[in-house]
Amino acid sequence: MTTSSGKRAALSGALLMLPTTVFLVVFFVLPNLYLIAFSLFARMESEGLVYGFSFENYRRAFGVELYVSVLLRTVWMGFAAALISIFFAYPLAIAIARGGFFGRIVTLVVVVPLLVNVVIRSYAWSQVLSRNGALNWMLTNILAVENPPQLLYTEWAVLTASVHVFLPFMVLPLSAAIGNISPDVLDAARIAGAGRIRSLMRVIVPLSIPGLAVGLSLVFSLTSAAYVTPQILGGNFSPLIGTLIYQQVMALNDWPFGAALASLLIIMVLAINLVFLKGAERVSARWTSGI
Amino acid sequence: MSKITYAIVILILLAIVAPLMVPVLMSFSDTPFVTFPPQGFTLRWYHKVLTHPEVQASLWVSVRLAAVSAVAALVLGVPCALGLVRYKVPGRGLVLGLVLSPLIVPLLVTGLSLLQFFSQIGSRWTFIHLAIGHTVICIPYVVRNVSNSLILANPDIEAAARVMGASRWTTFRRVTLSQIRPGIAAGAIFAFIISFDDFPISMWLADARQFPLPLFLEVAILRFFDPSIAALSTLMIIFALLIITIMEAALGIRLRRFTG
Repeated sequence: MTTSSGKRAALSGALLMLPTTVFLVVFFVLPNLYLIAFSLFARMESEGLVYGFSFENYRRAFGVELYVSVLLRTVWMGFAAALISIFFAYPLAIAIARGGFFGRIVTLVVVVPLLVNVVIRSYAWSQVLSRNGALNWMLTNILAVENPPQLLYTEWAVLTASVHVFLPFMVLPLSAAIGNISPDVLDAARIAGAGRIRSLMRVIVPLSIPGLAVGLSLVFSLTSAAYVTPQILGGNFSPLIGTLIYQQVMALNDWPFGAALASLLIIMVLAINLVFLKGAERVSARWTSGI
Repeated sequence: MSKITYAIVILILLAIVAPLMVPVLMSFSDTPFVTFPPQGFTLRWYHKVLTHPEVQASLWVSVRLAAVSAVAALVLGVPCALGLVRYKVPGRGLVLGLVLSPLIVPLLVTGLSLLQFFSQIGSRWTFIHLAIGHTVICIPYVVRNVSNSLILANPDIEAAARVMGASRWTTFRRVTLSQIRPGIAAGAIFAFIISFDDFPISMWLADARQFPLPLFLEVAILRFFDPSIAALSTLMIIFALLIITIMEAALGIRLRRFTG
């Protein structure tokens, strides 16, 4: 990779990057900053929009029980989806990392659903979990369960669909990390007498922690910031913060409060990402003692 | 890999595919309502959705939007990747962070902030709003793919061309460009798909006339009680399979890069 240095080169480089930089500053950075500012400098009172610095919007978000429950549900849903996806992701990631024909098939099956629209994937789950959907049909006709409950429009529906929709985002980083593990390490473990489970727990998992951290961050971020999946699977019975923001802005016209909720969502996602990534660094350093 | 591991993996793969098969099966049902298992066999729902004017209108909006956004993302992203990889500009770490940041901020929030931004400045050109919003979220994919290609490209050939007297522009056009073509193609395809399938940005910026397909799908789920949506879902699943086949065949792209 040749990098040109020197003043003329720096100028050329800067010019090449300029249009994108300006575009993103104008249409990404500024609008988001403005949104956060708006949540602090405006609020909706009974007489209309009132300006002036105030934490009122945030006080409401944490003070009203309904809103707090939505925030808590969003966080718990994000964590739950991330943690559950670990169990489904590891076997797939190991298969992919091993490569070969089977590995390519697994990659295909994992990646193709990503190209199917999220609305369709969520709709598919709503047809599985509805009262006369596939799951209940299987329960009544094959397992002879009487009067199965409807799972649609519950938290579990949202959770199940979220794991299914976002699983590839855990599998792919994990498979990359596992693929980086030298096969010699696994051979050494086997020679030393480790059984399959042992080598999984003591070798593969610790060495794949960086990939695990990325996967956890992605699944948490995508689940908690989602709108379509919780909307179709949970409706108004199990709102997450995305649903709430949309409601506040579009239905109730309370832009400042919507902006505050959106800012909280940004903070939530950034904070959890930091926790996962820093945590992974720490654990990784401890377990592999600097290898 | 032991037999047990194989079995576990196959079970999980079936669990991934099974829910997607439900709408496929339901789409052939000869009933005016969705039911599982399907009863009868008919293709009339496919006929209905393929000839439905609203479906066609939304599809056209999505295709146009994705094309415009992909092109815009390329026009902005390719030079940016060049600047980042090939030149030592002070502060390029910051630029890289800026370029990748649309991936970190939730799309839902970016869409809302853009809606607020556009209404504050009083702009009413919805299609342009949508295009801008989609371009913002597509740029990171273009820059990442083109950068990867650039890093892998052989700099000696470029140096040879310069030594032989080619101008910077000629070198770029005849040497660099052909080497980074896979990266550009990958970036373009990802940008098109991201824009075509986007919901969290479009949900804020669309209006009745510019109503992209994903938004239409969500509304249609509530409106159509017959298997039309199942038929439309099946068509889109087939479309996704087609894209993957084309990508693998024509470009041999490593699919892991998609979220990597």
